[in-house]
Amino acid sequence: MDSQMLITVVIIITSGIGILASTITLAIVEGRAVLKALEGMVRQPEVANRLFTSLIVGMALLETSAIYVILVISLLLGLLGG
Amino acid sequence: MDRVAPQVVQIFGISVKDTVVSTWFMMLVVIGGVIIIRRFFPALLKRLIDFLGDTISDVMERPAKPYLPYLGALAIFVAIANVIGVVPIVATPTKDINTTAALAITVFFAVHVFGIRQKGVWGHIKSMAAPIGLFFLMLPLDIVGQLSRTLSLTLRLFGNVVSSELIVDVVYEVMPVIAPLPMIALGLFIGVLQAYIFTILATVFISLAVREDE
Repeated sequence: MDSQMLITVVIIITSGIGILASTITLAIVEGRAVLKALEGMVRQPEVANRLFTSLIVGMALLETSAIYVILVISLLLGLLGG
Repeated sequence: MDRVAPQVVQIFGISVKDTVVSTWFMMLVVIGGVIIIRRFFPALLKRLIDFLGDTISDVMERPAKPYLPYLGALAIFVAIANVIGVVPIVATPTKDINTTAALAITVFFAVHVFGIRQKGVWGHIKSMAAPIGLFFLMLPLDIVGQLSRTLSLTLRLFGNVVSSELIVDVVYEVMPVIAPLPMIALGLFIGVLQAYIFTILATVFISLAVREDE
């Protein structure tokens, strides 16, 4: 196995591990966010709309971390034509 | 996968990227749409402006009028740029990192322009280095923070748009008939949501710069 092939194999394995770690962490964190927001909505239905808006914005901000992982992996794999 | 990266096209012998061409097309669509809407449905335009103004003043807790032209234009530009990719042969303008970097840099300068207009040059610099006793320690930290949040705005918008396009592309290669449609719908939803978030973050940065120190 020459060095170029070794680099490719390492990049592919690292990408898999990176996606796995980021999605697992993100699923746990977003699950907690949704749980807390639903508890708040059940307790105070009159502010449910504002809670829902904050939940959507917060989840989109949380997802940014996974987006960063996808960006780095895409750059490593050369998907963005870089 | 080559469809995701911006392509270089030739127009009158000058090579430009197709995202630039689609930005021009988008500007035509926006200007034409505004003229048509103002002619035939003025109430719709007023509702849109009221919605943007209410959202901005909710976040800033001050009248939105001085900031509405910039932030509203930003919101409309990003929202339409994220969804115009569904038109055939038009590339999404925000899948080029240069477009999102330009938008984030306008936010960077707008923060300073609004801050200086509110407090004057020296007052703005003083509020950036918040405890005035630690002036030479806090000022570089604040400058680094502003540069890093500009980078983060760039990469957030770019990454979201590019990743939704990548998902559509991957599903298209597996099964090109019906399967990409839900992914395209998800991409539209994420595009509008990211436009909202981009605007809210710009609003928060500007309101941090113009708030009165206690």
